[in-house]
Amino acid sequence: MAGTTSAEEATVNLPLPDRGTPIPSGDHTVWADVSPLLDAACKDLQDGMLIHGDNFNLFAAMSALEIMDPKMDSGMVCKYYSVDEAIEDGAAPVPTSFDKTVDVQRTIDIMDHLLACEATWHKGHSLAQTVFSCIYLLRLDRTSSHALLNSYCRVIRATCKAVISVVSDARTHEEEDLFTMTYGLPLNGDGDEKCLSMLHAVEETISRQLRACKAPSSKTRVLEDLVSLQNNSELEEGYCKALLCRLRFRKHFYHVLTSMKRPQGRGLELARKHIASCISELEYTLSSSEILRSSTFGSHEGNLEDKTTASGCEPIGFDASLNCRLSAPTPPRAIKILSWKKAVEYFIKLLHDLDVICSYPLDPSLESVLHFVVEFQKSQPDLVARAHLQRLLVQDGKLYGRDPIFAVIIRAAALPESTRNHDIQKQESIIQLGQLVINLLKVLCTNGAWQRRKLGKILQDWRVVFVQIEMAFRKEFGENANISNDQNVSVKLFQHILLWVEKQTYWIACRFLILGFELELYSLSEYCMVYWYIYVVLIKLAEKTSLKTVVCNDSGKRKGKKKRDYVKDVARDYRIPPAVLFLQCQICLAEGLTMMLAALKNDRMLVQSRSPFNTEHERFIQQFELLQRACIPDHVSFSLFVESTTQACLSNLVMYDYFKDAHRIAKEIKSSFSNDPEKLAELRRLEQVAEHNSIALNVISRAGAQDPSLKVSFEFNHHPCFATAVVRRS
Amino acid sequence: MEQEAAETLIQVASSDGSEPAAVNRARKLLFRRMLVGIRDGRFFLGTFHCIDKQGNIILQDAVEYRSTRRSSPSPMEQRCLGLILIPSSCRTSCHVGCSVEEQLSLLSF
Repeated sequence: MAGTTSAEEATVNLPLPDRGTPIPSGDHTVWADVSPLLDAACKDLQDGMLIHGDNFNLFAAMSALEIMDPKMDSGMVCKYYSVDEAIEDGAAPVPTSFDKTVDVQRTIDIMDHLLACEATWHKGHSLAQTVFSCIYLLRLDRTSSHALLNSYCRVIRATCKAVISVVSDARTHEEEDLFTMTYGLPLNGDGDEKCLSMLHAVEETISRQLRACKAPSSKTRVLEDLVSLQNNSELEEGYCKALLCRLRFRKHFYHVLTSMKRPQGRGLELARKHIASCISELEYTLSSSEILRSSTFGSHEGNLEDKTTASGCEPIGFDASLNCRLSAPTPPRAIKILSWKKAVEYFIKLLHDLDVICSYPLDPSLESVLHFVVEFQKSQPDLVARAHLQRLLVQDGKLYGRDPIFAVIIRAAALPESTRNHDIQKQESIIQLGQLVINLLKVLCTNGAWQRRKLGKILQDWRVVFVQIEMAFRKEFGENANISNDQNVSVKLFQHILLWVEKQTYWIACRFLILGFELELYSLSEYCMVYWYIYVVLIKLAEKTSLKTVVCNDSGKRKGKKKRDYVKDVARDYRIPPAVLFLQCQICLAEGLTMMLAALKNDRMLVQSRSPFNTEHERFIQQFELLQRACIPDHVSFSLFVESTTQACLSNLVMYDYFKDAHRIAKEIKSSFSNDPEKLAELRRLEQVAEHNSIALNVISRAGAQDPSLKVSFEFNHHPCFATAVVRRS
Repeated sequence: MEQEAAETLIQVASSDGSEPAAVNRARKLLFRRMLVGIRDGRFFLGTFHCIDKQGNIILQDAVEYRSTRRSSPSPMEQRCLGLILIPSSCRTSCHVGCSVEEQLSLLSF
């Protein structure tokens, strides 16, 4: 059919000699207008009919990009056809006004709006639609005559580049895929390395202007041959100050980024100083809002809460539609730039998060690093902060770029430092284990949802690596290793590492289950099985932890003691270590909650709507499929869950109250954690949950099932993942 | 199922020999290079793939052309878009490429 030339077409209108269509039709061809023909054909078509060729596929056709659809067509032309046209039209004049006072006001507005754009970008929108909606940034060279604007835009560009580099190095951006997309944006310009000195020069000038306007006489001004910032002497001081805090914030923020980038955490100390300066400059910036609002002309209708500038004025020189086609392949989403106030709040939070990262002692103990990351995630840090943390933790495949992963593992597995150069580290499975540890650290730095998904997946890898190491061990030493432990370092190495891998695997499983609460992935009808699963995983974790403690003490004490003395010592000294008791307390709570929920269900006290879509077994599979696939723990199945909960009833529960146990343990071990405020706070929370649940259980069992007005619900008001039963009379 | 039904409908429609002349002529335009102009000033050049009763056009391997100035003549920017659907509501012009001979034969009418 292609290329058929027939007389039929001759009836189309006379071809337009490329009038109105500036696209050349090619050699020896012309454009023929077929609109009237198509209109006629459409009129003759029946409803639902199409004109199409043999290769037509309705399904494929449905994936066509719809032109002029705001959600699909990123090229829609709104106001201007191009940046150049916008500039010619006066959308971004330099200077922003010939009135110096207005120029200063407008420049401050541009600075504020850029800050709001930057925060919006950090929060997950594309750079093209946020920071680079600024026409001045898109054509930075135009501003060279305007030192203030030029230096500010330049440092913004350099900052964006630095942030992109951190985030793409950390590869945390996979969770926010838009973040590092910079295609087509003028991000690389000359002279950005000088941005700080330019900023410094401008800052110097303005601080002299500030001093001059504060001086009692105009003598200084004459002396220094200084031109004032703008013409209105009443506003001079306010404007100078407003500009200074904005410029200084940029300077310090850029310093924060560059110092944090220094290898092996060497710049963290310095970064903290700059972070403190950043925060105080932001506070000055916030306080400058009032004077800016009062001094600008024009009306201030509407709330400052949703304005993107401190003055409340609309900034000039921004058009997000100009380059939204650069944000391809994603469709341009309609985005709302954060308000200026929200942006400042965002940056203060970011700086606090960065400060937490910088103040963490570079401790090579993996356990404390993992604990730190988990604690850090509780404050829900945003992408940029998490990327910084990740890059600090893993550099060149080493912890903090200093400690080789094998050495870190050795330490975590409680082996002596002397073994860190042992040949075992060259084994394939041990190398893989090192990769898993690095991967785990990275995964823990990602956002909750992404993290949970990845944790679930890496559980299998940990299981596999465990099996591989075990096999390597067997291969080397046979089934029954008859070699004395004292003599053979390798045996000890293997045993310690295996134990540690198991413990770590259960730790990951535990984190995976607990994250489900934070992400609200469980429904009331699933709490029982979730707590049961947490209970079985915690038991394993406690078992491995206590075994590890025994093994550690074992190797520590043996030196220089005869065997007979040693046996006596163990019997005398053995106390359950606090870390295990801590887990014990959580185990009691999980078990108590499992039994309570099961009893409530069995006694029909808990109003649960049965899901019409899936059975309890199916839900069990859906929730724990990844754990089951990795055999964590071994031999745990749905039938075991049913078996252990089906007999639960309230009368038995009161006789044996798990919550009382939990409460007692929590009280007992508090003294062991007296110098760990985080653990103490956690214990207090556990204690509260135990106490409340114990009381609730009593109330329920006393009123009994015969009181239908009793309503039991569960809330997370004392602990984020251990629920508290609330009893109400309806 | 729905897709199948729709396709049979289309098959039936296209195998129908007694279709109107305009439809028949429009069918001859399939696979030719088509240039469609739309309201906001852009043009799309692609292979004519499909048109429906409402006048919505699908082009294959389409390239977008946009002027960089509102005032013409102006330099053009272009980028590839692939399969696109141009709703009839935003279409302002529609041309197909044809040879000079065709045009001459056209003039002879």
